[in-house]
Amino acid sequence: MATNTLEPLDPLIHVPARLRILVTLAALNEGDTLSFTRLQNMLDLTPGNLITHLRKLEDARYISTSKTGNGVASLTSVTLTRHGRAALDAYTEALRDLLGELAK
Amino acid sequence: MNAAGGTTQIGTAGEGAGLDPREAARILEQTQRQARRQFDPQSALGAVVGAGVFLFGYGAVWWSMRDQHVYKGPAGWSLAVLYGLIAVSAIAGGVASSRANAGVSGRARRQRLAQGAAIAAAGVGAWVIEGALRYLGVSFEIVYGVYGPTVPLIALAAAAAGIAAMRENWLQLGVCIAIIGVASVSTFFGPLGAWGLTGLGCCLVLLAYAAALVVQQRRS
Repeated sequence: MATNTLEPLDPLIHVPARLRILVTLAALNEGDTLSFTRLQNMLDLTPGNLITHLRKLEDARYISTSKTGNGVASLTSVTLTRHGRAALDAYTEALRDLLGELAK
Repeated sequence: MNAAGGTTQIGTAGEGAGLDPREAARILEQTQRQARRQFDPQSALGAVVGAGVFLFGYGAVWWSMRDQHVYKGPAGWSLAVLYGLIAVSAIAGGVASSRANAGVSGRARRQRLAQGAAIAAAGVGAWVIEGALRYLGVSFEIVYGVYGPTVPLIALAAAAAGIAAMRENWLQLGVCIAIIGVASVSTFFGPLGAWGLTGLGCCLVLLAYAAALVVQQRRS
């Protein structure tokens, strides 16, 4: 069995919803933020599901969230951190290597 | 064990353990493509609308002047068609831009405002000079027949070219340079040539741009 013989894929990113969240945020310029609502619409996730994944990514410092306003007028924005961008780059590289190995 | 089944456990654990690396690569590429498309206000449709403005707007002005042996200026209806089409395309562009940038804030928003100010300054400056030329006694034929359809367009395209170069958007830079070239050369052909050749030339440039965007989107 080939387990652990290749570059490991970051388990935090190697989940469809979280991978899509990071890739979507990475399409923005560094330092730009995206509203929670737009992100939810783009990914077609339920608010609860998206919040769960965002919390995990925020705990790992891959993203940061900020909230402005109060109550129904509050707006949550999400941004990819440098650490998160580097982690996604590393994941992409590891995935490319892994697929290269599989093709051999 | 097949290759895919074996690799699903390579270096992964927890929720993602069942995700095949090939499937992960597909999700990654598909999401990248969708995100780029959704954040990008440029579209092939927008370029085709722009081509229509040049063909029918500039074309209407050319049509209304085509039999003038002595310059009398464009007919009112043709200017109404031109400015109506410009207004419609500006509204369509604004809607596309606000849709693409909905929910996005930070540096990109500030950049957009600065770029909008640079383009507006270039256009306003060119139109102010048009007024100054008329004030200084330059003929209607030159001011409204040659300068009017070309120089403000060249100023706007030059500002857009600078922004495209800064973004390293080489396709857009090429379009801006082509528009500057077409508008510049058409000034040698007098009012009819300025309206007719600029309209037709810019229409073809934008149609080529639309085709290039379609090819680019299919490749990515």
